Amino acid sequence: MLKKIDLKNKIALVTGAGKGLGKACAIALAEAGAKVIILSRTKSDLVNVNKIIKRTKGSSLSFVCDVTKTEEFKKILNKISRLDILVNNAGNNRPEHFTKVKQENMEYLTNLNMRAAFNVAQLCSKKMVKAKNRKKIGGSIIHMSSQLGKVGCEGRNVYNMNKFGIEGLARGMAVELASYNIRVNTVCPTFVETPMVKKFFKNTKFRNKMLKNIPLGRVAKESDVATAVAFLAADSSEMITGTSLVVDGGWTAQ
Amino acid sequence: MSIFLKDINLKGKTALVTGATKGLGRGAAIAIAEAGGNIIAVGRNQLELDSLKKEIKKLKVNYTSFNCDINNYNHIKSFISKLNKLDILVNNAGTNIPEAFLNVKKSSMETILNINTKAVFNVAQLCANQIIKLKRKSGSIINVSSIFGLVAGQKRTVYSMTKFGVEGLTKGMALDLAKYNIRVNSVCPNLVLTPRTKKYFKDKKYNKYVRENTPINKVVSVSDVATSIAFLASEASSMITGTSLIIDGGWTSK
Repeated sequence: MLKKIDLKNKIALVTGAGKGLGKACAIALAEAGAKVIILSRTKSDLVNVNKIIKRTKGSSLSFVCDVTKTEEFKKILNKISRLDILVNNAGNNRPEHFTKVKQENMEYLTNLNMRAAFNVAQLCSKKMVKAKNRKKIGGSIIHMSSQLGKVGCEGRNVYNMNKFGIEGLARGMAVELASYNIRVNTVCPTFVETPMVKKFFKNTKFRNKMLKNIPLGRVAKESDVATAVAFLAADSSEMITGTSLVVDGGWTAQ
Repeated sequence: MSIFLKDINLKGKTALVTGATKGLGRGAAIAIAEAGGNIIAVGRNQLELDSLKKEIKKLKVNYTSFNCDINNYNHIKSFISKLNKLDILVNNAGTNIPEAFLNVKKSSMETILNINTKAVFNVAQLCANQIIKLKRKSGSIINVSSIFGLVAGQKRTVYSMTKFGVEGLTKGMALDLAKYNIRVNSVCPNLVLTPRTKKYFKDKKYNKYVRENTPINKVVSVSDVATSIAFLASEASSMITGTSLIIDGGWTSK
């Protein structure tokens, strides 16, 4: 009756896997038995993640890649024989009040959080549908969205725009890729203790204000999000598609 | 020992499941037992409670049952308030009588509203109070909702009214119970093949309607829903509260 989170014989690709959530997802997928392909711009980060995966007796392969450079990403994808799972994670945030958002920041964030996310998802989907037995074995694409893909938040208008967009993309992709038995979902975490959020939380006034918005009274751990991603990647969720797994301690329930 | 992946593990936990004799409730009880959880089954059919006992006992966990109609408030209250172990509630008992809005009988409306809304509320309140009284460190309540808690379907006005209600209840409970570290979520399955729905699926028109509205070309199984319930019951989802896990093969993503 219970379908365990088991990713044996699956090949997964994780973008932005050098740090934070991407790193946690890559390791969690490896722990569930997947062979993981990890991408990051920073070689030393990849070396570190590879080491951790090796220590937990997992299997990984790494490539230095800036996912905003589509041709670079294409070349890497060509080196891979098969792909079953994509964790479309690479992303960033530069909080600014709406009236003060710099043009260059809007361009940078939108290029990374939307354009690159779309291109990576499209290229990976093309690769996934090529497998002859895809309908039988299925596939899973998980976009790293955010609670800010569901609700607004001060100083996060560009990020809101990007992540709401990803929520829309996920639904559209889910409908179109269902005939290949490829599922597409998002994970919407609240603030997680990652290097990126730690930087924001140095501002204690901001930190306390944000914590007040999380009914469970704590920020999420990387393992909370990585486990949700592994659940969506596995056949445990084989009828879940076109939806969001909200890991926010109740933030958006209010 | 995993670093980032949390297993669906319910060892040492005790779960009360309503409507446990058939369909989703029975599946949830078995899945929870497979994850190591002890079961308290509530249902109205003694023969089926006994046959479930045999199945659960094979999994080497404790089994208690209570033959009760949860519409009978005092009866269920006297049972729940005496429990000395309780961590999880699968608030599953419910019913449906499909009728076109203009022809909904007063008696059908009363029957559905009483069980799907009032009894569901009462059992949730009784169990939450008991979990708090027992000073458990954490708790998880899973309300069994439906895609018709999110969208409408033909001849499902009363059912939608009650399930949209359960969605609201879930979010409200999540906020009120967060400080006790009791998480509250719902699962929203598409039409699942169960003993109760078998007769609907025999109807060709109905079968077509389900298939055409489900992008992933499969019917949701009891195991799909039971796995999601076990996931939400366990610490694998310890930051997930006040949300809905939609298991619909993409029905509501369109």
